[in-house]
Amino acid sequence: MDKWTAIEPVKLYDKASSTAASVLSRLSGNAPSRAIFIGPLPPELHLLILDYLPLYDLPAIARSSRAFSRLVRDEKLWERKWKALKIEKYALQEVLNELQNEEEHKPPPPRPGHFAVEEESDLATFTVGGDDEFGDFTEAPPTQSTTGTATETFGQFVNTFNNVALDSQSAVPYITAFPSHHTFRSKFVKAHKAFVGLLPKVVTPPELALSHLFPSPAKSLYKGRVLHLLALFLSPAIEPTRIWSAQKDALNSSIRTFNASLVTAFDTSEEKGEDEGMKEAAWASWEVWDGQGEWEMGKTWMEKRDVFFDSDRWDPLRNLTNNTLHLDPMVVFMTNTMESVRKEGSFAIRIFPPSADILLAVTRRVAADVIGEYITPLLSRAREISIPTYLNATPATFKQAWRLVDSIMDVANPPPEAVITRTQAEDVIFRMFEMFMEDYLTEEISSTKKTLDTACDTWDRKVASHTGLYSPNAPHFLKNPAQVKRNVLASFADVLLLPVQVAATGGTAVAKGISKLTPQQRADKNKPEANGYRTPLADKDDPTAFDLTMADIDNPNEHDQDHDTHPHPTPVPAHVVNGSRASLSLVGSGPGSRSGTPVPGPRPSTPLPSSFDRLELLLSLDVALELIHAVRDSLARVQTFQAYPGTYGYRVRDTFDQLFVLLLQAMGDRHICPAFEKAEEQMKTYKADEHEISTSVAPLLQFFELVHLADTIQSMVQVFFDKELSAHIDRTDFMNDVIREKKRFENSLDDAVASGMNAGTEVLMNQVEHIIWSRTGPREYYPPEGPPLELGPTEGCREAIQCLEMHCKLLKGSTSKDVLEVFYQEVGIRLHGIIQKHLKRQIISLEGGFQVIADLNAYYSFIASLRVQQITQDFSNLKMLGHVFIVSDAKDLAQIVRDVTRYGGSFRPEDVYEFIQRRADWKKIEKTVDKTMYNLSFKDDCIIA
Amino acid sequence: MVTLTTSDNETFTVDKKVAEKSVLIKNMLEDVGESDQAIPLPNVTASVLKKVLEWCEHHKDDPAPPENEDKDDTRKRTTDISEWDQKFIAVDQEMLFEIILAANYLDIKALLDVGCKTVANMIKGKSPEEIRKLFNIVNDFTPEEEAQIKKENEWAEDR
Repeated sequence: MDKWTAIEPVKLYDKASSTAASVLSRLSGNAPSRAIFIGPLPPELHLLILDYLPLYDLPAIARSSRAFSRLVRDEKLWERKWKALKIEKYALQEVLNELQNEEEHKPPPPRPGHFAVEEESDLATFTVGGDDEFGDFTEAPPTQSTTGTATETFGQFVNTFNNVALDSQSAVPYITAFPSHHTFRSKFVKAHKAFVGLLPKVVTPPELALSHLFPSPAKSLYKGRVLHLLALFLSPAIEPTRIWSAQKDALNSSIRTFNASLVTAFDTSEEKGEDEGMKEAAWASWEVWDGQGEWEMGKTWMEKRDVFFDSDRWDPLRNLTNNTLHLDPMVVFMTNTMESVRKEGSFAIRIFPPSADILLAVTRRVAADVIGEYITPLLSRAREISIPTYLNATPATFKQAWRLVDSIMDVANPPPEAVITRTQAEDVIFRMFEMFMEDYLTEEISSTKKTLDTACDTWDRKVASHTGLYSPNAPHFLKNPAQVKRNVLASFADVLLLPVQVAATGGTAVAKGISKLTPQQRADKNKPEANGYRTPLADKDDPTAFDLTMADIDNPNEHDQDHDTHPHPTPVPAHVVNGSRASLSLVGSGPGSRSGTPVPGPRPSTPLPSSFDRLELLLSLDVALELIHAVRDSLARVQTFQAYPGTYGYRVRDTFDQLFVLLLQAMGDRHICPAFEKAEEQMKTYKADEHEISTSVAPLLQFFELVHLADTIQSMVQVFFDKELSAHIDRTDFMNDVIREKKRFENSLDDAVASGMNAGTEVLMNQVEHIIWSRTGPREYYPPEGPPLELGPTEGCREAIQCLEMHCKLLKGSTSKDVLEVFYQEVGIRLHGIIQKHLKRQIISLEGGFQVIADLNAYYSFIASLRVQQITQDFSNLKMLGHVFIVSDAKDLAQIVRDVTRYGGSFRPEDVYEFIQRRADWKKIEKTVDKTMYNLSFKDDCIIA
Repeated sequence: MVTLTTSDNETFTVDKKVAEKSVLIKNMLEDVGESDQAIPLPNVTASVLKKVLEWCEHHKDDPAPPENEDKDDTRKRTTDISEWDQKFIAVDQEMLFEIILAANYLDIKALLDVGCKTVANMIKGKSPEEIRKLFNIVNDFTPEEEAQIKKENEWAEDR
């Protein structure tokens, strides 16, 4: 609206300008004040309403008031009308110019008479009054002066200055509003004139209409464009006449006739092999196509392509001969199809207009009708054969189909610019394959779930039946946990780095990978350095890992001899194991490894009840590996579809997550947790006194082994996660399902270890108590007088400490420092209690007192070696307690008992009093002690009182 | 829920979803954030707001209009109005204009379109005099001006 002020003439029309000024001032304000309203609404809303009005209603509006007449001139209104013609969008300006020129150069008989008259008079006015006008436009755009110097054609001139000329006649300044012919309004008016002349010709029978419209022979492309323009003009956005809709129908039937002739022309040219003729017909036909439904010419041409008719040549089921997947026939098929696409595609680019996207349409059709039709029976047959075949076939066929993208791009890439973008080309394949995705992803998940379940079930059954559990090659962790773990993880990581092939030949590589990881090979690798950290011992009923360890310690020579005399099962070369995981268990249960194996255990130990058999065998690295590999294969297959866009892209990523979650669930809930529960249960049923005295608590040892195993498995999962999944998942996204499930898995593992540890400690301490209890002779601390004492810890004490020491050491390296500390502390506290209880059961002589001190010292130094501050303090206090047994004088004793600080606060005098009751000479000294302890205090009280 | 206060000091409490059909209110809520304070609408009276909210309620689940789509293609039959909207907008003229003003002020594009289409349908085929009556305006042309304007727009007439 500001423009109005700028171009307002200031000098000439004084009287009128005052009127105009008042009008203008009403319009100039931007604030929505009722003052500028036209009737009930502000001008901008009226403009919106005018937008919805047919063209022929605008003159009436303009004549209703000044304000409305201005609105009808508003450029915004005409810009929209002009845009509705889509001249720029379809590059029709040239044709429009031609039409307009034609209009200028011929007499206009069909138009109303006054038009012609007006035009002439306009021209006259311009030549006369033009100069005057220009003088007043102080801020007129420069284009105007260029026009004034007549650089444009004469025809345009006439049109351009129609309005200006009109204005010059008028004495009212506010309508001198058309400074330039470059307004949308003037462009539209010009176009309108050209079209209106043609409209009467349209409303005749189609054949006649065409010859009326194009009296002189013209190129079909030109005809097509004119018809296109007319169709755009007769649109609901413009509504040029009251009967526009009928006119449009008539035009459409003309267009249909025209198009039919084009199709004939196209076919004739095709038969003759005239590319130019085809091209002309195709472009013209594309021009008049109204965008509804399919473009017929392109469609017919496409339908006639050979590539859609030779599907009989290809039998998709040949990819599945002998029920195995070999995609060689499909490779040939694809190569052939790609050749066709290349041929037809380059033809399409030559003949059809680029905007028709025929190339894309052809490739889409090839993808859906040829490749899709080929893949469908292939996959359904594969599914009949077996699910794994199906799962392998899907990504493999996808990869084959994907090759089409490259050939599309080859065709679409003639300089100067590509007709199709790569994304569009990829989209063709993605869309085609979409119909297989739903089934595939569902199947992938359910199959993986099944595989995982089966693996766990098989293992559970083995555990339940105690058969085939023991593989002699399974690594034992107790000797050198860190080393073994490192080895396992290193080889695991190696395997993960191997690429999984999902192509037709897929499967063998994976098998190789697994075989590489078998403990067998690891054993070979480690044997030389580890002094045979694994013995050839293989009897599952036989002693536990602990015994083996002891054998190593006690009889290294004998053990080495074993190695020399017994030929270690020769490592199975990778290619033998290749492809069959079963071979692993074969090695394990093979008679060769059992028979003739000398039992090196020098310590005879009774076979434990079978339920205590090998807790560590409740878990299996092999099973863990199996699970991970099952999921890894699935992931690798799904990865083929990683680039999928849209909904299915989301589904693919979701499947990724789900697969990993499945792995975690199987590993945690199905494998590790039950194992730990069972182990815990078994440990709880262990009764120390039911077994022969031994410094080892078998279940606990095995439990430690179990913990090592679980820890290794967790590390494996972590490695797997890092290598395979971290690329797809935002690790910091704590809301992510996978991350949450992983946390849960780790937590449940920790929980299982902790509760197992709790049960284990219980068992261990029961054992310790049992040792102390059973190994301590009745007069251990009341030795017969005479022979001088041999001051060393008693047998019970020694064995208890040995037992504890061993177990504490075993745990090192498998659990975190915190867990270890908690465990030590628990051990210390309980041991503390056991010793107190034990002492209170004894009768202790003065000489025996030294024995007690010796024992307590031994306990102390053991505890000190654990380096846990708090319990070390407790035990040092306990050590002080020993002194009460060697003080012979009753009064001194009483002093010591009362001296609370001696015991660092661990014991109150009453507690110590209980201990001294166990002295052999208690009856003799009781009175004196009592007197010293309590009477004295009486006296003191009296004095104070 | 969102509370709205009209120019005549009536308050309306409506679902956030309903209120957010108005881009003005939506933006306001985004800027201010959740608060119990009533949003003042000084340009709207209670009777009009009631009517507008009725429309918003009915259209609250409509999908958002496509942003800057090729507008020319989407408005095929421009003056088509859905049946419910036709009944809704069948009000006296004064109310119709008030609704249009409110829809414009509250920035409810779809409602504004309904209003404008309705007015356009009323204008269709009317003479200048009838149009003046419709909008309650006077003919302020001088006879010369009127002749000139008539001439200026003659090309668009359909006879």
